[in-house]
Amino acid sequence: MVGGYATAPLQNGDTILLPERIGELTGLDGFGVGGELLATFLAAFVIGNLMLAMTGVAGPWAKRKITAAFTDRIAVNRLGPGGIFIILADAVRLLSKELVVPENADRPAYDLAPIVVAGSALLGFAVIPMGSGVHLADPEVGLAYVFAVSGIASLGLVMAGYSSANKYSLIGGLRAVAQNIAYEIPLVVTGMSVVIFAGTLQMSEIVAAQAEPLVSFAGLDIPRWYALVNPFAFVLFLVANFAEVGRNPFDTPEAPTEIVAGYQTEYSSVYFVLIYLGEFLHIFLGGGIIATIFLGGPAGPGPAALGIVWFIVKIWAIFLLTQWLRSAVPRVRIDQLIEIGWKGLLVLSFANLILTAVIVGVLA
Amino acid sequence: MNDWIAIGALALVGLLIPLGMMAVSYLLRPTVPETSKRATYESGEIPTGGTRVRFNIQYYTVALLFLVFDIETVLLFPWAVVYLDAVESDSVSLLEILGPMLLFVAILLVGLAWAWRNGAVQWAQTPRQAAADSDRQ
Repeated sequence: MVGGYATAPLQNGDTILLPERIGELTGLDGFGVGGELLATFLAAFVIGNLMLAMTGVAGPWAKRKITAAFTDRIAVNRLGPGGIFIILADAVRLLSKELVVPENADRPAYDLAPIVVAGSALLGFAVIPMGSGVHLADPEVGLAYVFAVSGIASLGLVMAGYSSANKYSLIGGLRAVAQNIAYEIPLVVTGMSVVIFAGTLQMSEIVAAQAEPLVSFAGLDIPRWYALVNPFAFVLFLVANFAEVGRNPFDTPEAPTEIVAGYQTEYSSVYFVLIYLGEFLHIFLGGGIIATIFLGGPAGPGPAALGIVWFIVKIWAIFLLTQWLRSAVPRVRIDQLIEIGWKGLLVLSFANLILTAVIVGVLA
Repeated sequence: MNDWIAIGALALVGLLIPLGMMAVSYLLRPTVPETSKRATYESGEIPTGGTRVRFNIQYYTVALLFLVFDIETVLLFPWAVVYLDAVESDSVSLLEILGPMLLFVAILLVGLAWAWRNGAVQWAQTPRQAAADSDRQ
């Protein structure tokens, strides 16, 4: 598997990964290893900028518009249709802010934390199949990999919280890590119940396993999406995911009414932008994981070329859900948060795992 | 191309994007040093005391508990991957596939029950907070 698998194109026929496709399109694959490396880098650049564009739309514009709609306001509407050009204005505004570094900050860690938060959030998208051939890499350990790299952000949050030399930041960083580790286990264990259905960790195969029809109903095929096969696991995963990305009702790490802004209290200018970016990337990464393992990935009606459209629709649906909860659900306290995680979700996720295993074992 | 080279390329992009934004910001932003601008933010008050404050022991106990369960999930993953194949092949009985995992999870759940009973997942309160809580009830 070591050498042979690596160079062979994807086994299940029509899916070709993005680096190879770009290599063919640009003719770079004719230039040996250097050309392939460049094509791979270009593919990574495309994925990185696609996700950056999504967060760019989500952060300065969509978030405001959605919250405004929930609270019966209009929000940004001056620049361009629906105020969409506020994205450009905000990008310039935020990048040209003065950077104020608190006087007791631990310098290398304080500067590195935003890079860790933003960079690590991007890493997970490498293995997410986005449809229409937009899929950077497809290692056999895909799902384990994506859980592993999405955990790196906790490190960045602790670095940010500790190095800011601020009481609010310190508490915020500690809360962030306590929350992430409390909900990491239910998240991974619930993800594991999907692995039991699919029998693989490879993302493309998990998506392929969901393509078969579950039941046919008046000539209409209901796909075998794991959200429909096991709705209990889907709900558990959604809840654990919201806690993992620190969104309402689990936004205790940055609870503005208690600890100002948590770990990002002392961050300004581009550093603030990077941490904010990392958080949005994490919401989308969570959406991407949910879409891939529960909602059939890029599957949807119409030709396969529409895959990326369906994928984006699905992750924006998850994003919309986070914003809905933000407007509708009150925040839990830190002690409630720990109890929900360790006493509720953890036990439920193990019950789900065992039940899934037993049902799959008996039915097979 | 190897999958891991592609992931490495994305890691490089993930490093270059923040660095690029920092570089652009460095060129654009003003620097106006003023006294007390860099003071630690404490809601506009003059900062008091150090910032390495004492915090709840609970953060430590849940982190210890996490280590145990995180290793457990790592050990469960290989089992979950081969489970479907093992069930579908008739060479092993269901009890043989399911039994050891059930025992393994059961041992850890006993551990969780023990930690639960000993208050490791119950938010630790100072005596004063506990007294205030019992007053309220």
